[in-house]
Amino acid sequence: MANGGTGKLGARILIAEDEPNIVELLTFVLQRAGCEIRSVSDGEAAIAEIRRDPPDVLLLDLMLPRKDGYEVLKAVRGSATHAALPVVMLTAKGQEKDRKVAESLGVDVFITKPFSNQEVVDSVLKLART
Amino acid sequence: MTVAAPIGMKVRARRKSRGMTQVALARRLEISASYLNLIESDRRAVGGSLLQRIAEELELELDDLSGDRERRLVERLGELAADPSILQHRIDPATANALVSRHPDWAGALLSLSRGLRDADQQITALSDRLDQDPALMEAVHQVLNNAAAVRSTMEILSSVDDLPDEQRARFIEIVLSQSSALSSTAEQLVVLFSAGSTHNRSLSPAEEVDDFLIQNQSYFPALEDAARDLRREVRACGQTIEGALTAFLLQKFGISVFNRSPVEADLSRFRNHTHFDAADKVLTFLDNAPPPTRQFQLARLASQLIAPDAIAEVADDELLTSEEARARARGALTSWLAAAALFPYETFLEDAIRHRYDVELLRQRYSASVEQICQRLVSLRKPGAEGIPFGFLRADPSGHISKRFPIAGLPIPRGGNGCPLWPLYGAFQTSDRVIRQLAEFPNGSRYLFIARTVRHEPALFHEAPFLHAVMLACDVVHADQTVYADGLDFAARQMATPVGPNCRLCARTSCLHRGEESILSSR
Repeated sequence: MANGGTGKLGARILIAEDEPNIVELLTFVLQRAGCEIRSVSDGEAAIAEIRRDPPDVLLLDLMLPRKDGYEVLKAVRGSATHAALPVVMLTAKGQEKDRKVAESLGVDVFITKPFSNQEVVDSVLKLART
Repeated sequence: MTVAAPIGMKVRARRKSRGMTQVALARRLEISASYLNLIESDRRAVGGSLLQRIAEELELELDDLSGDRERRLVERLGELAADPSILQHRIDPATANALVSRHPDWAGALLSLSRGLRDADQQITALSDRLDQDPALMEAVHQVLNNAAAVRSTMEILSSVDDLPDEQRARFIEIVLSQSSALSSTAEQLVVLFSAGSTHNRSLSPAEEVDDFLIQNQSYFPALEDAARDLRREVRACGQTIEGALTAFLLQKFGISVFNRSPVEADLSRFRNHTHFDAADKVLTFLDNAPPPTRQFQLARLASQLIAPDAIAEVADDELLTSEEARARARGALTSWLAAAALFPYETFLEDAIRHRYDVELLRQRYSASVEQICQRLVSLRKPGAEGIPFGFLRADPSGHISKRFPIAGLPIPRGGNGCPLWPLYGAFQTSDRVIRQLAEFPNGSRYLFIARTVRHEPALFHEAPFLHAVMLACDVVHADQTVYADGLDFAARQMATPVGPNCRLCARTSCLHRGEESILSSR
């Protein structure tokens, strides 16, 4: 498959998503693009994992249990050590209001579901290169 | 369907009012009295030259006797008689003619009521269909998008990856099958949710159109900010204090004099907000006990109205405003908007708001303004690239009626009537003049910080009662920590949030102890 260019080999991606099938599919396409993947299924686990071992890019679902994507993004941007972490937000809430809130909180890329694999891979690789 | 116009009663009433007998009028018309009697009883249709002669003899406009209005009334009553909701009354459509003939005002009133009912029904249906009011619907749509995302992603892989191992391919096919099945099931749920009511377009009132117009523009109008800047520059050259400069500006530029008058001597029925403007005499009169913020604002409002009518009209010439009444309302709102923009300059005000962490009381003192003026200016800080927190604004009277609203996208507040009794907008009446705050959670999971207090409108005279309003600012919880009102609140603890709704009719919380009436959502 075409994966939109060769990204930084071994870019380390953390997927925070509670739909197992979507995690599996994203893992597949990103691994083929040369990324190293870890995943968590709720917001609190995402924050803990970022603190433990910060990734190169965070792929963040908005509707997560325990802490939603906004809260995770806010915690990241408010952190002294991880504020610059690139974040791609994936969401089934595609309303303009949600996009504006995410942008006001400092999201790098906002992608609505159903997404194309190419779009996700391109966004992640571009951010991983920066 | 064409129907005979029942104008007979009109002819008879007019003849009698002019003191003419049937015989006398028939003679003038050169017809028999019995034929005129048939006309007056609506048993003979009349037209052409005879109709014209009747109009002339009775000194009526031909249009009054053309019967067009009556014909339309009869036709619409005929449609009403066929309405399923009143079929059980077995109304004979043929009797519509008699009703219109004998009681045209009652016929008109009946049709107005029926139209009002139809509009209300459409509005309820449209509101009930709003995605963000119904957690079940929202969850179903969310699920559909997740299923669709998985199917699309898998199909992209299957169609573009040639070297997929068999085991992997089988796994992906399994995902497509399971997600397709989930998609079908969710789609069925959606059909059930939607089939409860047909969808109609709401017929919007002028006030609702203005609301939509404000939402569409996010309560921010760059052209008027420019006009406000120009106005400020001109006014500043006229004096030192704001009130003095505005007064001098109105006199120099428009020849308008400003006077004060004792409430004891004034005709209070002509005053609104302690103010009366006589355009013919070019006199603006204040009651001499008008509060300083009111004086300042009304002076600025008049200056805005006079200096930028074209800019205001141009902004109000918007396709969302479909009637002249709606455009006139919008022009009024925009004039106040311009006045506020002139008094509270954007950049300085935003800087102060951020520095004071949106503390309304501090800003009120800083700008010698009223609470309501500050709240409304905060709402309008939406300049792209230099935005303040997105705030919504509500004002209620003591009966609970929402008398002013500046909604923000996503905040589910009703278009009119009353809001949720649990909002601090209503609690504020119990703690007059004190600011109360609330972390509120709506049935769809969205959370907002609400900040409310009462504002008192002082009476002009001893025997007038003071009037109390409550005002409320609302912001998404993600912005709350930028405000002084978030201090000490724990936003991470979901149990700290008060479960609220838009209002009882639109709220899905069936077990709420504060429910005052049935929800239109729970009946699904």
